[in-house]
Amino acid sequence: MIHLADYQLIIIGGGLSGLAAGIRAARFGLQTLILEQHSLPGGLNSYYFRHGHLLETGLHAMTNFAQATDKRAPLNRLFRQLKLSRKRFVTREQFSSEIIFPESRLCFANDLSLLEAEVAREFPASSQAFLRLVRRMKTFDPFAPAPWRSTRTFLHEQLDDPLLENMLLLPLMVYGNSEEYDMNLAQFAIMFRALFLEGFFRPEKTIREFLDLLVGQYRNFGGALRFNVEVEEIVRDKDRVSGVRLSGGELLRAEAVLSTVGLPGTAKLSGWALDPEQYTGRMSFMETISLLPESCRLRIRSNRTILFYSMNDDWQYKRPSSLIEPSWGVICFPENFHGIAPKETFQLRITNAADYDRWRQLDTADYGAAKERCCHASAEMVGKIVGNYEQDIVYQDSFTPLTIERYTGKGAGAVYGSPVKIKDGCTPLENLYIAGTDQGYLGIVGSMLSGVTIINQHLLR
Amino acid sequence: MTRDEIKDLILEIIEDIDEDAEFDGLNADSPLRDQLDLDSMDFLDIVMELRKRYKLQIPEEEYPELATLNSCVNYLEPKLKDV
Repeated sequence: MIHLADYQLIIIGGGLSGLAAGIRAARFGLQTLILEQHSLPGGLNSYYFRHGHLLETGLHAMTNFAQATDKRAPLNRLFRQLKLSRKRFVTREQFSSEIIFPESRLCFANDLSLLEAEVAREFPASSQAFLRLVRRMKTFDPFAPAPWRSTRTFLHEQLDDPLLENMLLLPLMVYGNSEEYDMNLAQFAIMFRALFLEGFFRPEKTIREFLDLLVGQYRNFGGALRFNVEVEEIVRDKDRVSGVRLSGGELLRAEAVLSTVGLPGTAKLSGWALDPEQYTGRMSFMETISLLPESCRLRIRSNRTILFYSMNDDWQYKRPSSLIEPSWGVICFPENFHGIAPKETFQLRITNAADYDRWRQLDTADYGAAKERCCHASAEMVGKIVGNYEQDIVYQDSFTPLTIERYTGKGAGAVYGSPVKIKDGCTPLENLYIAGTDQGYLGIVGSMLSGVTIINQHLLR
Repeated sequence: MTRDEIKDLILEIIEDIDEDAEFDGLNADSPLRDQLDLDSMDFLDIVMELRKRYKLQIPEEEYPELATLNSCVNYLEPKLKDV
């Protein structure tokens, strides 16, 4: 067969959705090229080296834990789709995690009965209602086409306890909600399953080995991958696209293009008229990684894997009106998974909501000082929960909404992308598709399933 | 291909898709999906493998023909007779 195009499929972005899509396409013989702007794959979930340590950029934990024998679980379906051996993929499960509010605390782990017992203890009046909610979530089909539905209203009807509703919502929102204040019920159901019904785990090693596995599988199936290339334009030919133009002028022709750079980015590259305001998320975060000596574990409370905290019972998920909002956030101990051997140091990672616009307005000269100030404010707040650790910090690094935007191309540093998702992955241009965050699935497992689904629906039929 | 060869081919493709596929006690007249705990994404892979290996184009409306092992053989026999 003679193809006039250079490739049958060009994928823009070598993050997890792009790699998964690439493996699917290459596995069934499509001539595929992935274009990645950085020197490493992974997108939001990549890694870098500082102070002799490999630091992961996005990964706190993977969600959707499932034993290898549970064939229908999203994680195992994903492995089958990518033709990767689930049995040879070693997973490390979390210790346990905790939701901490002033008036109450709830623990959960990869066995749902812990959370059920905790809710029964802390909220005896809502205990039966919570069990009903769990049953509802087990059978809820979040992928059935349905209009947007308010999770806040739904939870209020189900539980009628504002504190319990907030406590359940905090982890589910901070780990995957692109909207402020409320959440689409389908997204809530996806996150409820991912965190509470299935749970947290990590790959045995780091995200680097996981990315190597994916890149290896992609190349194994004959896929091509170029790093350090920036796409300048998705080239249109009337209602279709004919390929991409790289900065530097090189033109690559393709029969179809899959973009994983988000809706605003894709629109800009392809000249698709779309209001960027409406499709740019407002939730961004600042994250600080502190390396602490192993001996510090004796002085702080570090027995959980992830802590979701709020200093106020009437918490709201929204962009703050300050550089960061230290009064609520996530504290993660990435070494706290069963079977991970201790090293000389351990990490403590803090995530707080941040205001992209305020970071944007800073002068270059003020940026560094603002970062330091925010790190300190955040550490002080977290110290109230786990104990003071600032004096023990061996090394510290942090990233802001600007860092996220610069390295991942997510407009306004919105890690969960646009508040409006395009579930079918279609664009106004016939052979241009989108996958990844703005298609609607989130998290590592979710974004990979996004890539897989879009290839299955549009390119393997 | 003979009917037996087609049967072996289908089982081999399924084994390739699912490293844990268990064929003991498989009923050739009952749906494969239920017996092997496969979903629609796995099912698509059977179709894609047949396309990759034999350039067979199976239209979506004919996927139900592949429901059971015997219906697969009946459906594929004329299509693979010269292979």
